[in-house]
Amino acid sequence: MIYTQVLANGLMLGAIYACIAVGFSLVWGVLSVINLMHGAFIVLGGYLAFFSWLHLGLNPFLMIIPVALVLFTLGYGIQRYAINEVVSKPVLITLTVTFGLEMILYNAMNLAFSATPRRIVLDLGVVDFAGAMLPLDRIAAMVLALALTGLLYLTLRTSKVGRAIVAVRMDRDAATLMGIEYKKIYAITFGLGAFMAGACGAIVAVVFPISTSLSGLLLGKAFVICVIGGLGTVPGALVGGLALGIIESFAGHWLGSQNAILIGFLLMLVLLVVRPTGIIGKKGYE
Amino acid sequence: MKTPVISRGVAATALALGLTLSFFGAPAVAQTIKIGAPLALTGGLADEGKKQAIAYDMWLKRVNDAGGITVGATKRKVELVKYDYQTNEQRAQQLAEKLIVEDKVDLMLAPFGSGHTKVVAGVAERYGVPVMATSASSESIFNQGYKNLFGVLAPNTGGINALLTTVSKSMPAVKRVAILGREDVFPKSMATTMSELAVKAGYQVVSSEFYSVGTLDLSTPISKIKSLKPDWIYITGYSKDLILARKQMADLGVTAQVVTMITGPVYKEFIDALGPQAENVTSMTWWHHSAQFKGNDPWGSTKAFYDQFVAQEKSDPDYVHAASAAALVALQKGIEKAKSTDKKAVREALASLDIVSFYGQIKFTANGMNGSKELPIIQVQNGVPVPLYPDSVKKGNLRPFK
Repeated sequence: MIYTQVLANGLMLGAIYACIAVGFSLVWGVLSVINLMHGAFIVLGGYLAFFSWLHLGLNPFLMIIPVALVLFTLGYGIQRYAINEVVSKPVLITLTVTFGLEMILYNAMNLAFSATPRRIVLDLGVVDFAGAMLPLDRIAAMVLALALTGLLYLTLRTSKVGRAIVAVRMDRDAATLMGIEYKKIYAITFGLGAFMAGACGAIVAVVFPISTSLSGLLLGKAFVICVIGGLGTVPGALVGGLALGIIESFAGHWLGSQNAILIGFLLMLVLLVVRPTGIIGKKGYE
Repeated sequence: MKTPVISRGVAATALALGLTLSFFGAPAVAQTIKIGAPLALTGGLADEGKKQAIAYDMWLKRVNDAGGITVGATKRKVELVKYDYQTNEQRAQQLAEKLIVEDKVDLMLAPFGSGHTKVVAGVAERYGVPVMATSASSESIFNQGYKNLFGVLAPNTGGINALLTTVSKSMPAVKRVAILGREDVFPKSMATTMSELAVKAGYQVVSSEFYSVGTLDLSTPISKIKSLKPDWIYITGYSKDLILARKQMADLGVTAQVVTMITGPVYKEFIDALGPQAENVTSMTWWHHSAQFKGNDPWGSTKAFYDQFVAQEKSDPDYVHAASAAALVALQKGIEKAKSTDKKAVREALASLDIVSFYGQIKFTANGMNGSKELPIIQVQNGVPVPLYPDSVKKGNLRPFK
């Protein structure tokens, strides 16, 4: 019975992990930009959902798309007017730019919202399933996180913009010759990464207390998930997120919670050595 | 040209005045006393850093409005040299060095928490600068042989013993304790000390586990605790961890006769974030405004400190505010006792200090901790922390959590 609970905990956490990583993975895979703002974007999304709930009484689940659109606009603007200027430079330059922008965003949030942990209280109730207690807010968060991840996958596979993003990721020069404005696609891709971060922030705010100090932690998780699952693909982030959630849950149960994170990092190190592409990643994105 | 002639005249007058003053003795301008304060004004501990800054500024205004600190026969104004170390340990270390070497502060205050206090105390010890900790209670920090480190908080053990006494008196049937602690200096120390003292007090510790600093989710350790069916759940961590733990306890249907969270209920943000779920959670604290004292300090009484704080901040002060102001009171009294700002003299004066202030008694033991305070035990009842112990401040009885 306890293992059903541990597995349920791992799956619910893993779905959120996948949602945390998918936007980060997309930006890294397509633009070769390691977006150090990703954790702060998620936190900003969480705060927007929290304050909409607190002051306007809006259900955070209904705020997922509006919050994500705000973040899309922010991300699009940042890429279009800042990162695009240096996007062809070595990765260290773009890393430094996103690092600086992250510091500005992080400290602006600290000033605006303070570091006090905030929590959305929904208390939707709990379902007892085969001896495992499943809080409905976490189930809803899991379903929505998976749905958003699936939506991004479908967008990339079926829409015109999605195909253009994939084309730019595969060969930027060839895509340009086919008439694709790669800088515009970069901005849309970065915006989509921020969109997913904002949506994920609204989901995270329902499940966990939000504070600015979460941004570094969420960014670290996104890194680990990308390496485990495979960089640059939606299925990679999904597999990496679910794998990390389940591994942390069982490692916490068997080896103690203090070792759960360590096991996740060990898995990442092992994969870096034996399979740098990640579990289902493609060669060329390691 | 005329201008140089006038300038020469002015210069000659100034020189003559200067010579006259130096001959007859110029009025002495008392040098400002500089106290260095590295603060976490941004980053993860920004809330705690801001609390310290509020209390420091309250003390500074009060002291400087009264003419400053009495040093022998003169009154000297005080300047607080504050820097934001961004909740970054390395930055705290660099700034401590800068405060001592470049700003030439006379004395230092430590940042929030045992971990960062340890870092700053190490630098201060190297330069022989007395440093007063406002919010470090882990004895391991004070047992490193530092001669210049003092702290106004009492050791953790006193609070845990008080907690064990309170629970055993009110609920003798409570026997099985599950402990979950954050793997960080203060929360870890509070969890390990509880494990040791609970066994000594006759309790059965059914589980004692830690979670890492970067833990996002606590559902697995809480599920484990549920399967053990303890009478008493004792969790340590910072507000974010404890809010999450309490929420996930409710999600997973985990309950017990006693639930203690160190030191969540002390903070307003814990109660605000949890609402009814904070009800009946117990904790310990280092200060509660119900404990009334009268003393020779800039406020003169706990009531005066409380009233000024409430008027200014529109909320109750917690122990971080009180201990931060008390740390400066201790440094002030050390200087007054030493009749000097000489670092060695102040250190010796602090070592033998024994005063009663708005905060209570301040008397340092051999390791530099304030060993004289009886620590209050509190429980959230009807949305506010109510003191249960000691009898001098007691305003309610321990209620069962479930």
